[in-house]
Amino acid sequence: MKRHLTKYIYCSLVMLGIIATQSCTKNFDTLNVNPDASSKAVPQYIFTKAQYDGTARMLDLLLGTMQYTTSFNDVAGFGSKYVLSQSPQSAAAFTNAYPNEINELGEVLKAVGTDASQVNLQAEARIWKVYCFSRLTDLYGDIPYSQAAQGYNQAIYKPAYDAQKDIYADLLKELDQAAQSLDAAKTTFGSADLIYGGNTVKWKKFAYSLMLRCAMRMTKVDIAQAQTWATKAIAGGVILDDADVAKVAYVGAGQDINKNPLALDLYNNDYIAGNGSTNTEGGKYQDVFINYLKANKDPRLAVVSVVWNGGAADTTSAIQKGMSAGLNAKPADFVTYSEPNPKTILLLNSPRLVFTAAESYFLLSEAAARGWYTAATAESLYQNGIAASMRQWSIIAGSAGTITTVQINSYINAHPFNTGGTLDQKMEQIYTQFWVGVFPDAQEVFASYRRTGHPALVPNNYVGNATGGKIFRRMQYPVSEQNLNAASYAAAIARQGSDDFLTRIWWDKQ
Amino acid sequence: MRKLDSSNFLRCCCFLMVLLGRSAYGYAQMALTSNNRIHAKSYGYTAPQVVENKVLLKDALDNLKKQFNVQIAYQEGLLDNKFVPANLTSNISQLTLDDNLKQLLSAFQLTYRKINDNQISIFTVKDLTSTNAAVAAVTLTGKVVDAGDGQPVVGASVYLKIDNKVGAITDITGSFKLIVPDKYSGRALTLVIAYIGYNQEEVVVSDPASALQIKLAQNNKALNEVVVTALGISKQKKSLGYSVTEVKGTEFTQARENNVANALTGKVAGVNAAGLSTGPGGSSRVVIRGNGGLAGDNQPLYVVNGMPIDNSVPGGAATVNGITNNVDRGDGIAAINPDDIESISVLKGGTAAALYGSRAANGVILITTKKGRIQKGVGVEFNSTATYDNVAVFPDYQYEYGQGDGGVKPTTLAAAQASGRRSWGAKIDGSTDYVAVDGNTHPYVAQKNNLKNFYQTGSTYTNSLAFLGGNEAFTYRFSAADLNSKGILPGTTYDRKTFNLALNGKLSDKLSIEALAQYNVETGHNRTGAGDALGNPNWTPLEVANTVDVRWLKPGYDALGNEQIWNDASIASNGYFVINKYKEDDVKNRFIGQGSVIYSPIKDLTFKATISRDFFNYNYSNILPTGTLYIPNGQYAGIKSDVSETNELATVSYKTKIIRDLSVNVLGGVNSRKNTTNQLTFSGSQFTIPYFYSFTNLAVSSTTPYNAKVVTNSVFGSADFDYKSLVFLSFTGRKDWFSTLSPKSNSIFYPSIGGSFILSDAVKLPEFFNLAKLRGSWAQVGGGAPDPYVINLTYSNVPSAGQPLQNVTSNNITNSNLKPYTSTTFEGGFELQMLKNRLGLDVTLYDRKTTNDIVNTAISSTSGYNNVILNVGEVSNRGIEVLLNGTPVKTSSFTWTASYNVAYNDNKVVKLAPGLNTIQLATSVGNWGILDNIEGKPFGMLVGTRMQKDAQGNVVFNATTGLPVQTPLQQLGKSVAPLTMGLTNEFRYKRFSLNFLIDGKFGNKVFSVMEVYATRLGLMKSTLPGRENGLVLNGVDQTGAPYTRTVPVSGLRSYYDNYKTYSDLFLHDGSFVKLRQVILSYALPTNLLNKVKIQSASISFVARNLWTIYKQTDNFDPEQSFTNSNAQGFESIGLPRTRSLGVNLAVKF
Repeated sequence: MKRHLTKYIYCSLVMLGIIATQSCTKNFDTLNVNPDASSKAVPQYIFTKAQYDGTARMLDLLLGTMQYTTSFNDVAGFGSKYVLSQSPQSAAAFTNAYPNEINELGEVLKAVGTDASQVNLQAEARIWKVYCFSRLTDLYGDIPYSQAAQGYNQAIYKPAYDAQKDIYADLLKELDQAAQSLDAAKTTFGSADLIYGGNTVKWKKFAYSLMLRCAMRMTKVDIAQAQTWATKAIAGGVILDDADVAKVAYVGAGQDINKNPLALDLYNNDYIAGNGSTNTEGGKYQDVFINYLKANKDPRLAVVSVVWNGGAADTTSAIQKGMSAGLNAKPADFVTYSEPNPKTILLLNSPRLVFTAAESYFLLSEAAARGWYTAATAESLYQNGIAASMRQWSIIAGSAGTITTVQINSYINAHPFNTGGTLDQKMEQIYTQFWVGVFPDAQEVFASYRRTGHPALVPNNYVGNATGGKIFRRMQYPVSEQNLNAASYAAAIARQGSDDFLTRIWWDKQ
Repeated sequence: MRKLDSSNFLRCCCFLMVLLGRSAYGYAQMALTSNNRIHAKSYGYTAPQVVENKVLLKDALDNLKKQFNVQIAYQEGLLDNKFVPANLTSNISQLTLDDNLKQLLSAFQLTYRKINDNQISIFTVKDLTSTNAAVAAVTLTGKVVDAGDGQPVVGASVYLKIDNKVGAITDITGSFKLIVPDKYSGRALTLVIAYIGYNQEEVVVSDPASALQIKLAQNNKALNEVVVTALGISKQKKSLGYSVTEVKGTEFTQARENNVANALTGKVAGVNAAGLSTGPGGSSRVVIRGNGGLAGDNQPLYVVNGMPIDNSVPGGAATVNGITNNVDRGDGIAAINPDDIESISVLKGGTAAALYGSRAANGVILITTKKGRIQKGVGVEFNSTATYDNVAVFPDYQYEYGQGDGGVKPTTLAAAQASGRRSWGAKIDGSTDYVAVDGNTHPYVAQKNNLKNFYQTGSTYTNSLAFLGGNEAFTYRFSAADLNSKGILPGTTYDRKTFNLALNGKLSDKLSIEALAQYNVETGHNRTGAGDALGNPNWTPLEVANTVDVRWLKPGYDALGNEQIWNDASIASNGYFVINKYKEDDVKNRFIGQGSVIYSPIKDLTFKATISRDFFNYNYSNILPTGTLYIPNGQYAGIKSDVSETNELATVSYKTKIIRDLSVNVLGGVNSRKNTTNQLTFSGSQFTIPYFYSFTNLAVSSTTPYNAKVVTNSVFGSADFDYKSLVFLSFTGRKDWFSTLSPKSNSIFYPSIGGSFILSDAVKLPEFFNLAKLRGSWAQVGGGAPDPYVINLTYSNVPSAGQPLQNVTSNNITNSNLKPYTSTTFEGGFELQMLKNRLGLDVTLYDRKTTNDIVNTAISSTSGYNNVILNVGEVSNRGIEVLLNGTPVKTSSFTWTASYNVAYNDNKVVKLAPGLNTIQLATSVGNWGILDNIEGKPFGMLVGTRMQKDAQGNVVFNATTGLPVQTPLQQLGKSVAPLTMGLTNEFRYKRFSLNFLIDGKFGNKVFSVMEVYATRLGLMKSTLPGRENGLVLNGVDQTGAPYTRTVPVSGLRSYYDNYKTYSDLFLHDGSFVKLRQVILSYALPTNLLNKVKIQSASISFVARNLWTIYKQTDNFDPEQSFTNSNAQGFESIGLPRTRSLGVNLAVKF
């Protein structure tokens, strides 16, 4: 027995010893590889995603703020009522942009590398990044920029906020460099580029158009810089032809990401029932917008607006009626108010216009009025702007959006440019047309409204509002920034002013 | 170092199995030839055996008792292992009692004596011989009684110290008569009196002529108590250097909870257990000694019969702020049938759990299931329970002003629909021109019974039947149980069928096998949602305007099946529509199998190999139907999941004496754990053909696979030293290798040491003490990342109908430097038994620190990601646990026992990462409340805003907006109760027993989402000021100047709605005291039952959550949590808490 005992103990010790001294980890390398994910980034595919995401990043609430739409519901009507309790809504673009398009573009640039043969991929990613960042900083002012989206690459979990002034300087530099680096002879993103299919000539126009936009933003704060960059942009060549309009095309079916994001938001959030009555968030066009279109006999009224009449969408101008932003409960006559036309604004496969010829013309018209541009008159540019803005509805919605040349000309004739007026009077004309012309890009209108003060919208002094009845000057940062990025947030506030809707951002300073 | 892959690892285990297998063959041969041997020590059981055509002597004597109506006394154990031919019992009625007794006892060294006509005492022959042999010598008489209650001790041995062959046994009255042989006459005699369960006494006989009165004191049961510890190893409780609490299975079977983990509430010091407000089939949340990790689930490891099981919630826990499809799908422990539980041991962490390794850092709940037992015939156990639930908590809303807006009640249908959820109307005056949402005119009166009217009486019927039995070689137990539950929410059902089989075979003296299998099917239907309003059925009855009878909203759908409007925000679903048209279905098929081979080639050397596999297959679908107002074309969510947890474990243990008085028990083992998840999630929207709910009928759909495999390989060993049963020392060590960590740093070794010292045996303490034990331990436990794929950045395709899309796989930053974390526990304590074991005190102090915790934390989204996984910081838990139990009253017919446990745990986040002082755990709906871990603060800090006040306490108003200024985020209070306690009282009077449990938790805060909405909608009493003439605001503006204004009645709604921006208004003290459980039982008289061949039967009336004795929340239950994740501290419009009443019947045949 004694011998057996020794044997067993020996046996077991040897066995344990084998295991104890040799780690059991050989398969771990392969075990810990996700079978459903790739270790390799494909820059084309990520770039396409970034284009979808960048285009989708918008604050629908600004449609209310710019007085196109409203709702009787406090939550959905926040943009038009400025209710304090709903203010966190304004942070959505900030929260979502960084983990999506901003980080994606960083991944694209990382994957593309610095190889000279990839210069067009680099340039297009940089241009698109400028577009995305400029939209963000225009909403919030100072934002994380130079340290943004470096969580993985540099382990920066609390990025500092850059001053908007510095951001603008870098955005303009980026556009300049990227536009110049484009080379038609080299490889492109091809069909992965939803905007231009890799066309470098058009990308260059897009870059200079963005440069013009950014330049004009600075007219209040640094007129000299504004002129310098606007001149440079114009010299580079901006988007003027309908064929060059920067737009993202959508499939309209399948996954939601393949659908026009604004159309999808409006449709899903409010107008899906298609009866004018059970709108899920109680949304309608606001009276200010509809009244203006009606008063000016604008041919766009029938394109953008319908009233549900006996179960059918009716575009008859006479019955169009906007809803007051002052309501706080569902009115009994709710069904009689105008709402977006399912065949145009709500069309899921319509392209989303990112930069239009109309915008270029209006900016050029301002540049001409300021005397920075002399190749055409402010008046002709203004007229071209109106015409382009009316034509673009057929780009969006085909025949349902077609406005005839006769209609366009008749409208232009009815709205002559005040060539002898003051600059401000010209600005009022240009940017009132901008307001109706660039619709539904409320975010861009929100920027031009803050910069020029036109059109002179009458703010809504709704009970319990967050602004004392004034229109927003900026959007608020997410509360989570106070929690997760407190020091950087505090530094930004110290520099820019309190995190309020009425604090003016750098280019909006009086 | 050469590396060994896991197949080699398995080969090693196989080698052991083969080794055991060969031996099994050899010993099976041997067993065949020796089947006549009686194995005195049959495999741990002391119960007698059954041999074919033989019956137990004890059973035969029991027959005689019944037949002749006599009582038979004998020393305990005297009849064990004795069999008589079955035919001897067939003709007892034809013989006299004496003949029967002679016939039965003749085969053994036993005889009997008639004490009187109906009392018989059985002795061993030598007792009798010695008494008979002593002719006419001195006869000692006396009586032995229990020192505690004075009751006679029957069957005690009384013998001479100088000659233990001279003895007697006490009879039914405790009396004995001992005849001292002549040879000892004249000598000084000392009697020894011994009986099981009592301390042995010696009595010097001073006067042989007078009757002796001898008192026996019960010995310390606790001292010899055996508890189940890590790896299912039974140890003497006195040898443990740490605190272990064992709860018997019967505590779970009478007043039962569907989820057995909920039944731990209040029972164990330091265990914070709570059921959720999610209806039948819901999860539990159990935290032992505080939250140890910053972001892990912090729940204990569940181990069944020594092997871990999976406790995950398929598809993850519900969230606080979820919207639609946010249901609690139930956890793994919910599958265990309480009737199958023999006992539950709670290993509170540290040394207790060190052998289980990484996942035991949060403690272990060890469940030992019932096994078969050796007995004659087939034992049958039947247990049946019916319980009924009703809503127990009602909000204390205002009923002064009714439905409407701006002080006006609705008088048209349109107005009624517009304000269906708002109580900003006119003074409730009983007027009759009020038109409600059903289009009818009703008196304008308060409707206070909406919860009662909306919810129904829930019911749960549980029936379980077990068959058990076995012989010396083989025992079995099979049980089948059916639980059928109907929730208080109409339409909610949960059904659980459990089948459990336990087989134990003793193939030879040296080889035994054990096999366990459990199969369950859990079927849930229409589990409730919670969180935000959409699809949350509880939202309607809780937030509907206070003059609306919720039943006016019935049936919630129109002729087409579309949702009926009841208010002007379609996101607030009609609760009846949700009940009637939403469809949630889930089925979980689960199999838990375990097989062990135990081989002891020689005494005290044991090899054991076990393989267990817990596998479940889960199918879930949740349909938001066509016709939902907010999402008219519907949505679909589905999960199909296969999860398995496989554990292979091999151990070898050896026990030996090193030198005299010092023995050691060494154990070594290897363990491989493999957890595999293969899951598909289906999501989609827009049913193409309306009202046809199939994944094939969606305009937009996507399927996302998730496949994960996690392996942890380990070696471990332990050595337990025992010196004179006075000093015990225990050492353990374990090394783990984690597949989820970086190859650079994927292993960790951690040791533990523990000891106990029986002070009362070492030195003479005052008699007051029966036991004094000191214990202490120090232990480390290491752990890896719970999920795979967190070390490398990867890219995944994004579903697209157009150009291919790709993005980073996760918003979570991966970390290639992850290394194991460590949890270190110091524990010290003492245990006292006093006043003849009538009073016991057990005190434990502990200090547990988790360092380099692996945390998945929320970070600023500007980093490009939403989370990062890091090794950060340090979490400390320090606490004290006290258990006090006593028997204040004990007489022959009445006893009162009481047990009180209290624990205080100070849970603190000591350190986070450099530059990171806050990590976010959760946010409420609307971000109105945030849950953070903040450096230097208690775990789970609720963070939010307040109304700004100046130094004098005046509210500071923003003069521009006219609204109170909101402070920046502030710390508002901790979400986890530091102080928990429970008090159990049990009264026994004859066949009746009354048991009640009171428990309480103190010191935490709860944020109420329901109150945020109820404020906005004018239901809260706090919204009453200003209803008549407007609200006058007084305070200061931001410059400090006095500020005043009047909010008109029409502006009240908006003014009070804005209160949601001041989080602390909705934060309440979550402390409570509840009468948790009451059980009134009656055990049916056995003589009555014997006639119908029933061994025992009892009937109990049971109640759970009967009465909330104390709470600080006016409108909801402080235990109103909806998720079993770390996101505690939120009330999120879940199902109201219920009280349940029921009846339980337990019968054994």
